[in-house]
Amino acid sequence: MSTIEVENLKYRYPDTTKLVLNDLNFSVEKGECLGIIGENTAGKSTLCYALAGLVPHFYKGAYGGKVTVNGLVVRDHEIATIVENIGLVFENPFSQMTGAKQTVYEEVAFGLENMGLVRQEMHTRIEKYLKLLAVYSVKDKNPFDLSGGQMQRVAIASVLAMEPEVLILDEPTSQLDPQGSQEVFEVIEELTKGGMTIILVEHKMDKIAQYADRVLLLHEGRQVDLDTPENIFSRGDLTDFGLTPPVVTTIAKALGIQYPGTKLYPVTIEEFKRLGEDK
Amino acid sequence: MGSMTLYVEKNSLIHHLDPLVKLLYVAASIALTYILPEPLFIAGVLFITFLLLVVGKVFRNSLPIVALSMVLIFSLVIVQGFFHPDNATELFAIGPVVFYEEGLTVALGLVLRVLVMVGAFSVLILTTRPDEMVERLIKKGMSPKIGHVILSVLQLIPQMRATMGKITDAQRSRGMETEGKLLVRIKAFFPLIGPVVLNSLNETKERSIALEMRGFDAPGKKTFLNEEKIYPYNKQFAGMLVIIILLAIVWRVIG
Amino acid sequence: MKTFTVREVDFSYSPIIPIFQGLTIDFDSRTTALVGQNGAGKTTLVKLMKGLLKPDKGELLVDGKSISEQTAAQLAKRMGLVFQNPNDQVFKTNVLDEVMFGPLNIGFSKREAEKQAMNALRKVALESKVAENPYDLSLSERKLIALASILAMDTEMVIFDEPTMGQDFAGKEKIKAIIQELKAEGKLVICILHDMDFAAEVFERTIVLNQGKVILDDETREVFSEKEVLEKAFLEQPSVSQIAHALGFEKSFIHEAELIQFLKDVQRLNPDLS
Repeated sequence: MSTIEVENLKYRYPDTTKLVLNDLNFSVEKGECLGIIGENTAGKSTLCYALAGLVPHFYKGAYGGKVTVNGLVVRDHEIATIVENIGLVFENPFSQMTGAKQTVYEEVAFGLENMGLVRQEMHTRIEKYLKLLAVYSVKDKNPFDLSGGQMQRVAIASVLAMEPEVLILDEPTSQLDPQGSQEVFEVIEELTKGGMTIILVEHKMDKIAQYADRVLLLHEGRQVDLDTPENIFSRGDLTDFGLTPPVVTTIAKALGIQYPGTKLYPVTIEEFKRLGEDK
Repeated sequence: MGSMTLYVEKNSLIHHLDPLVKLLYVAASIALTYILPEPLFIAGVLFITFLLLVVGKVFRNSLPIVALSMVLIFSLVIVQGFFHPDNATELFAIGPVVFYEEGLTVALGLVLRVLVMVGAFSVLILTTRPDEMVERLIKKGMSPKIGHVILSVLQLIPQMRATMGKITDAQRSRGMETEGKLLVRIKAFFPLIGPVVLNSLNETKERSIALEMRGFDAPGKKTFLNEEKIYPYNKQFAGMLVIIILLAIVWRVIG
Repeated sequence: MKTFTVREVDFSYSPIIPIFQGLTIDFDSRTTALVGQNGAGKTTLVKLMKGLLKPDKGELLVDGKSISEQTAAQLAKRMGLVFQNPNDQVFKTNVLDEVMFGPLNIGFSKREAEKQAMNALRKVALESKVAENPYDLSLSERKLIALASILAMDTEMVIFDEPTMGQDFAGKEKIKAIIQELKAEGKLVICILHDMDFAAEVFERTIVLNQGKVILDDETREVFSEKEVLEKAFLEQPSVSQIAHALGFEKSFIHEAELIQFLKDVQRLNPDLS
């Protein structure tokens, strides 16, 4: 069984008439990184909510179909149970600090206290994930005194410390400055290499190309395509969905640099270079 | 950004007290003003409350809170001064507006009572880490959900304060005059309210999503990272407060 | 307005930590991108320029005349500032009233204000939403409404704070078009940006701020060829420059089209490569 299975998922927010998610079907395997792209109204964040159980437990509304995470049917379990299997980090680092704790160290402990872990286990995990996310040096600071990049990494550490099977990152760098984004992407790179199952929503297409094994293309709540980054970004109709491919792919298209015997263009600089030289 | 609480970090006797004892003090001082509603007596409670603020080294921090509640207090005086049903003895008049002794006495009692409430809450809020208080309450069996409602209410004021400046700048940039006469300032206030409230609501919503994602509503038993703190003279203080309340009731019944 | 000058400005929020010491910048008719880390002083600089903050020392001059005596509200007639977060300003219950608020404040008649507002809404392609409540729109649309509410004031200078944040491809294209139109109308355009690709593509001049100091200030192409200096300020080159660099070309590229043309020429000159 796949780690995530989505079958005929449909959803509409309360007091609205339009389906935000319209008949989605896909699965995510263990250790895979799935990229989700689409313009602002495509339904990307709502899909993340549906995977983490916020839809339909926090946001009510009309819900159809089935989402299974780690063997758990999301609709039938409380959010508190679901989040031990799938963690969500979103855009705004500031509002992800619970405000319930005075230090970074305690902030990471918050989720673990709720899980009812024994004290020793908490300390072990907090130290481990603060170090992994390179925020151990600020462990005694007030979370609200950190920079955006540090705050976002504390948010990721807090979620990872609960050791979920899957991590969802919903535009984790869109409110950060270049350095903060870089810091967070370095972490994402580490995690993908370490075999974590990741769902990454991102506007920066070069990052999707770099990290995603497969890409889900959404438009107006519908699933347009689900394929490898090469296949997705080689599509000729991306602008119809409000998207552009990575710059390197645009250049490859203009120069006709393709994978031999296919209609596919390279999506990373390394591949572009390799194909260009072969040619 | 600064921290999101009104709590003032200082080292004082009041800071080291059990949050529950301080909470009991809030309840007791307010109850006292009802049990013995003589202005002189309420003034006594008020004096003790202010004394606690001084001992807690947060008297200055409490002044803005008191000032804010003055608006409420001011309107109480006016309404009671005019309209109290027992009004008989004319005290003084400003133009056609007449103030009566009876109304003003009642108003004075109310003013003192509001000050006691504000003061006692200041003692609690300014000298207690909000997380410590909520953790203490949860350990005593309160539902974590209510705990976090309390926390988010406590965060609301600093949160609004933080967004207020930004919003004022945004409206001034659109040519809204905020400096000058009172009328100008009052007019300038309205374009701020909407964004302040909506921003706070939005942030509260996002933060409650973050809390959900950390499983705060988990049905199982919670554990705590920090070992339980030992509070000095906990029983003595609580006992004293209870005895004072009982004495006051007895006094009221006999006297 | 032909020029805006920041001359020898000192500023600090608290006496211990100075933000600017003797900062001097001349803004002119070139569209200018202002880049740098958070905390570099970009937002503080535009607040000083808008009169929202007052310098401790130094002068701000428009076409050589000091504006130090004017309040932010008075300066609003001449300079518009689009804030990063639209939720910090939107307060009316319909889009048209929201966009008319600024023009009415700076003395437009009701009729003129409405005309200005409709024009501005057309520029951001949201004229169909005039009657809607801004809070029923998406955040990216609300951001464009906030932008329109400044455009409607028809100021001689427009400053944008992070206009592309949270915008998708279509939104960015709209903003790009608006900036070029403002330039064509002879207005001064300054833009705080974290998006280096957008800066490289759209702006004629780029200024890099780092810890309150200007460390680069030149034609955009020149600025983005300074890889080492940018890295010191924790900034990246635009994607196009990075690609060119990875392919081993020394020449500096900032536009997709010029790199493509260059690579095509290379292919043509070395037929054995293709």
